[in-house]
Amino acid sequence: MIYDGIVYLISASILVSAFYIQGQRYIMSMIRGQLVQSILIAAASFLLAYLENSLDLLILGALILILRGILITYMLETRMPRRKSYVFEEGVNVPYLFLVDLVFIVIAVFIIYSIIFSTLVPISQPGNSSTLLFPLLLFFQGIFLITSRRSTYTQIVGYVEEENGLVLLAIFLLPVPIIIEASVFLDVLALVVISSVITVEKSTHERMEELRG
Amino acid sequence: MTPGTLISLLLLLVPGIAAIFYFNSIRLATVVAASVDEVLSVLLFWIMPPRGFFFVDHTTDIFVFMITSIYLLSSIYSLRYISNKNATGLKQDTYYLLINLFAVSMLFSAQVNNYGLMWVGIEATTISSALLIMTEKTEESLEATWRYIIIVSAGVTFAFISIILIYYSFGTLTVSTIINSGITNTLFVRVAVSIALIGFGTKIGVFPVHTWLPDAHSEAPSPVSAMFSGVLLPTALYVLYRIFEIDPIKSLFIWFGTASIVAASLFLGYQARYKRMFAYSTMENMNLALIGIATMNPIGIAGALYLLISHSFSKAGAFYSSGNILRSTGTKDVGSVKGLSRRMPFTSAALLMSSLGVSGTPPFGTFFGEILILYAMVLVNAVPQFIIVVIFLVFAFVGINLNVSRMIFGPPGEYREPGRLMPAVALVASMVPLAIGAFFMVVNYAIL
Repeated sequence: MIYDGIVYLISASILVSAFYIQGQRYIMSMIRGQLVQSILIAAASFLLAYLENSLDLLILGALILILRGILITYMLETRMPRRKSYVFEEGVNVPYLFLVDLVFIVIAVFIIYSIIFSTLVPISQPGNSSTLLFPLLLFFQGIFLITSRRSTYTQIVGYVEEENGLVLLAIFLLPVPIIIEASVFLDVLALVVISSVITVEKSTHERMEELRG
Repeated sequence: MTPGTLISLLLLLVPGIAAIFYFNSIRLATVVAASVDEVLSVLLFWIMPPRGFFFVDHTTDIFVFMITSIYLLSSIYSLRYISNKNATGLKQDTYYLLINLFAVSMLFSAQVNNYGLMWVGIEATTISSALLIMTEKTEESLEATWRYIIIVSAGVTFAFISIILIYYSFGTLTVSTIINSGITNTLFVRVAVSIALIGFGTKIGVFPVHTWLPDAHSEAPSPVSAMFSGVLLPTALYVLYRIFEIDPIKSLFIWFGTASIVAASLFLGYQARYKRMFAYSTMENMNLALIGIATMNPIGIAGALYLLISHSFSKAGAFYSSGNILRSTGTKDVGSVKGLSRRMPFTSAALLMSSLGVSGTPPFGTFFGEILILYAMVLVNAVPQFIIVVIFLVFAFVGINLNVSRMIFGPPGEYREPGRLMPAVALVASMVPLAIGAFFMVVNYAIL
């Protein structure tokens, strides 16, 4: 019973980290928020590995910690300009975005959950599908971060957050074979590496006449 | 290891071996690797691997053949089109390295017998092809690269929910096992198939998640645009087809395809830049093939395959011709290019044939593919969609050919052919769909 409580506590903390990232204008804070979020997901994986005596979940937790937590954070930070603590995204109306986030995303996720996902039976907690709400919220928070911001860094963090939502869904529902999960992690890592090449050349994204229509 | 498995494995290894020549002669190694892969893909028609790590049937064969053919044509075309002088975003050698990896990731996605690894392969196509868009490193190409990465990755990530739900429903991700278990109609499988439509649909160009497509196609170098349009999108469509087979939700797929054709035809109609126009034409053709597959009728599926293989060559020809025109005129604007036929006769011929091909004119293979798909739509009682599709196909036909006519005819400008190799490749690519059309007529005559 106490372990159920811990799972909920970690899940809620993951969600708080997503809202924290959404509320930031400073890029560095977002990257650190992503680091905390990845560590929390790794912690959830380790806890379930202990509860279910699962080697796959243990390896998954280690992969999240190393590839998402350490490597991706390191790569994003090293691509930042020297005075990195001062880099922030201009023209972002945080209260307005929060309002839109709450009205559309959170309500939409609750509707999607109640129609489809509430009938799923998670492997981790049979008979209790409410933990699946957290990965869904995280997933759509990531998509919202990508669509609501124009900075390359923020969009990368949004993409990683979206992927984190999927990893959490797999951990709670049914972990896919570790070979596939590992390939997914490497794919995401490679995408972040390639994205970081673009950050050097182009840090914000505006409308362009040549690309209209 | 069986001969078939060896062929499938070699198809993946040969471009990888070419990549080893990164520091020395990678251009030549790429052309040789693509030629070897082309021969292997033909052999695969007769010598198939048993179900195991690979899942190859005759449908897969057609996709593998398409991939290797356009890979070969683009490698040859790149010999003249890409040089260190104009490839300022990527070194020439890096360009060829990525072309090889791009081919490997597509061949892997098409052959592997696991939905999870198919997803990994599709994501790998984004990784290997993203930097190719910014080969010429213009401001627009950087923006197009970024839009491609973020939109496609976000969309394909969505498709992973579908993979998780498939695994949850079947306890395995092996394609052959799941397909052989027959059609499974449960809520979670239906949700998985629907999510796959939106997720993989991002890569295929399904409306409204198609927005990266015109940007990437117009800003990538022409041989890369040809690979995107000719084989990358069909590869994603192939993966979606394999998921669709689990539980065919016909009406959803047919309506989405119809809406996408309407959107593509409308966008296509007012394009002022020829590469963007061809990009929207790709969207139109891919969604017509999606409808053909969604009918789940043998005639519709045969039509989709005819359309896809003919379209891959026609569209490659269109983008190679566009590359020739861009090199010669320096503009992508339809209105700024006139009278090509006098000064660039070979490129004009290739452009005309490929535009007739992509718009489904008889006797090109695309025409027969379209007819079969439309016939299948009537057979499955999709009559309202049939009427809408026919109207907008006519719309797209007029839009493309009117613009191309304006570019080809009229008073001649100060242009000249960019050498011999590039027009020759464009001409060869645009003529293949004629041969496919002739093949269809011969087969049809023999059967009837």
